[in-house]
Amino acid sequence: MIKALNITKKFGSLEVLKGVDLEVKAGEVVVIIGPSGSGKSTLLRCLNQLEQMDEGTLCIEGEKIKNGQKKKDMAQIYQLRQGIGMVFQRFNLFPHKTALENVIEGPLTVHRKPQKEVAQKGIELLGKVGVADKANAYPSQLSGGQQQRVAIARSLAMEPKIMLFDEPTSALDPELVGEVLEAIKGLAREGMTMVVVTHEMGFAKEVADRVIFMDDGKILEESKPEQIFCSPQHPRTREFLKKVL
Amino acid sequence: MLKGVAITLELAVIAITVGSFIGLTIALMKISRNKIFNLIGGFYTWFFRGIPLIVQLFFLYYGLPSVGIVLTPFSAAVIGLSLCGGAYIAEIIRAAIQSIEKGQMEAALSLGMTHSQAMRRIIIPQTYKRLLPPMGNEFITLLKDVALVSVITMVDLLRSAQLLNQTYFKPFELYGAVTILYLMLTSAFVLLVGYLEKKFALPE
Repeated sequence: MIKALNITKKFGSLEVLKGVDLEVKAGEVVVIIGPSGSGKSTLLRCLNQLEQMDEGTLCIEGEKIKNGQKKKDMAQIYQLRQGIGMVFQRFNLFPHKTALENVIEGPLTVHRKPQKEVAQKGIELLGKVGVADKANAYPSQLSGGQQQRVAIARSLAMEPKIMLFDEPTSALDPELVGEVLEAIKGLAREGMTMVVVTHEMGFAKEVADRVIFMDDGKILEESKPEQIFCSPQHPRTREFLKKVL
Repeated sequence: MLKGVAITLELAVIAITVGSFIGLTIALMKISRNKIFNLIGGFYTWFFRGIPLIVQLFFLYYGLPSVGIVLTPFSAAVIGLSLCGGAYIAEIIRAAIQSIEKGQMEAALSLGMTHSQAMRRIIIPQTYKRLLPPMGNEFITLLKDVALVSVITMVDLLRSAQLLNQTYFKPFELYGAVTILYLMLTSAFVLLVGYLEKKFALPE
C-alpha cells in the first residue's frame, strides 16, 4: 500500500532523513518510535507530501509520487492526500467552525457533496469517536481529548485508505490520553491501514503489527512488538527503551 | 455644509471598499509563492506608502493633465485615496494571514484541499476577527485623510466650510462645526467596528 524507498530530507544543512525505506501493507498498523529529532514526524509528513522529500521515491497504492512543485504534480499530490488522513499532535481543528462543521469540511469542499448527506455522515463519525453530543460546540469549548477525537473524525470523513498519526496524544493531559488511544484502537480493529508515531509504548505493544525504531534519520530496527520490546537487537534501541519503559 | 459631509462620507466609503479589494489582492500577491507577484506586491506597498497622499493627489489632479490625462476632482480623489488606502490595508491583511497558525494550512491540505481552497475556506475566514481592530483604525485614518482632497478643489466637509467662511467670515463657528462633525463621523465608525468585533467573536 505504501512503498517508500531511500527517502531523504534536508532542512538547510541538517539531514533529517538519511535514506529511509518503509513498506506498509494494507490493513497493517505500523508504529514508529524513537527519540525526539530522529525524523519520525518528518517521515510521516513525507508520506502525504506535507513535506517534500529531497531524494527517494514514494509509491502509494501503485501511484508514484514525483517530486516537484509543478501544477501537474500538485494535482496528483492533492489527489493523494484525499486518500490519506492525518491526525496532528496539536489537533489543528478549525477554530471558526463547530465540531460538526470541522468534520464535514473535507467532503463539502473537496468532494463537493451535498450538505445534507455529509451532515448525517458527520454525526455518525462523531458518534463513532464518542463526541456526538458535542457536534455544535466550537473547538475552544472542547477538552484536548475531545478535540483530538473530532480531528480523527474529520480525517475519517474523507474515507481515507491510510491514516497517519503524528504523536496524537503528546499534547494531551495524562487523563485524556486513554480516550484518544481507544478511538485509534477502534480503527485498528476495523482493519484501517495506519502509521502511528507515538511515545505511548503500551499502545505500541497492544496494537502494532510492526514497530519501527528510528534514530538520527535512519531506521535502526523493525520487528514485531513483542520482539522489539522484549529482546531489542540494536544497542540504540536497548538504550532508548530502557529510558522510556 | 451637509453636502460636504455627504461627499466626505461617500469618498471614505468608496475608498475603503476599493482600497480593501486592492489591499486583499496585494496581500495575496505578497504571500504568494510566485516571485513575480511578490515583486509587484512589494513594489506597490513601497510606492504608495512612500509618497504623501497630498503629493499623490497633486500629481493625479494637476500633474497628469500635462500628459493628456484629465481627471475630475472626484475621480482623482477616489483614485488617490483608494490606492493609498490599499497599500496600508494590504499590510494589515498580510500580517493577519501570516498570524494564522501554520497547522491550520497543513490540516486543510491534509484533507486534500488545494492551496486556494484552504485559503478561501480556512485561512481567510479566520483573519476577520484579527483584522477588525487594525482595519477600524485604518478606516478612521482614511476618513480623516479625505480632508486632504480639499486641495484639489473637491468640495468635501472641510472645503465647504472654507467656502462658507469666505462669504460669512465666521471661522470659529464654521471650523468648530467641522471639528464636531468629524468627531461624530469617527465615533460612528468606532461604534460600528465595536459592533462587528462582537459579532465575529467566537465563544471562548
